[in-house]
Amino acid sequence: MVSTPGMAGPARGNQRGFVLIVMSSCMFLLLAVIGMAFDLGRVYITRNEAQVFVDAASLAAAQQLDGTAAGLDRARAAVKRLPNHWNLGANTFENVQVEFAADSEHWSAQPKDAAELHFVRVTAPDNHLEILFLRAVGGPETFTVPAQAVATTNPVRLTE
Amino acid sequence: MRVSTLRGRKRSQKGHAMLELALCAGVMMTCLAGTFQFGYTFYIYNQLVTAVGNGARYGAQRTYRAASAQDIERGNAAIRNMVVYGDAQPSNEVTPVIPGLKPEQVSVEWIGKEGSAPIAIDVSVHDFTVNAIFRSFTFEGKPLVEFPYIGRYAPGESER
Repeated sequence: MVSTPGMAGPARGNQRGFVLIVMSSCMFLLLAVIGMAFDLGRVYITRNEAQVFVDAASLAAAQQLDGTAAGLDRARAAVKRLPNHWNLGANTFENVQVEFAADSEHWSAQPKDAAELHFVRVTAPDNHLEILFLRAVGGPETFTVPAQAVATTNPVRLTE
Repeated sequence: MRVSTLRGRKRSQKGHAMLELALCAGVMMTCLAGTFQFGYTFYIYNQLVTAVGNGARYGAQRTYRAASAQDIERGNAAIRNMVVYGDAQPSNEVTPVIPGLKPEQVSVEWIGKEGSAPIAIDVSVHDFTVNAIFRSFTFEGKPLVEFPYIGRYAPGESER
């Protein structure tokens, strides 16, 4: 039965290419798994780095508010001079938005009256992370990881 | 004669299957090993960002006691302990939040003029190696987090 040429021919022909199909579907799954580990890992790191940055930036800005227009400029400068980076410490934060408010609801980047401003909101919106593996299996080319934090001029001190 | 030829082909097919398996297994094992080492390294780096951020935040809110150089160093040691153990004054049994991280690998730097209140605190990790089995990665000066100093400046007080 095994040695019948009429049966072995087509059966062997069907077998050819099977490994290729199995291997390509396995590689697809493997790329997805690698993408999950590599790209999502970087996304989580970026999210963490961005949140730490905006937390520090909002505190630095709120510390400068003194009811004057010069205080607003100092707040913006304090945010700019922070050395925190993202993408495993490789990229600087770009287009960081600093907004001010008197009541933590009505925010303005260029407020006319600085006298009653006690709240600062810092947003780092443009952290576009390049996706390397997940895009090969239909994922996006970049993933944006924004972060935002709000601070006030009188933070509560919890440590001694 | 024909039988022996078929046997030879069968043997040859077996050899092919072995070769394919070896090639596929080699590729897959390499991919899985890479996924593991990068995934684990990213996981540890993410933990480091969190730990350094928490330590810097703690240092920024802590009272800066500067009666002597020893008091400043004691304060720095508490900040290092916060990064490594998540506790400023850890007990003897406590283990590091990140495997292998030691207080001496954490750098604490105060920004500002000597003899006056600090402006900010920089906390970073130096010479920390992540052993991801297949390869190890060393972080030098990363992650670095800066927080503005919002604590109480007490130049005449000593650390307890």
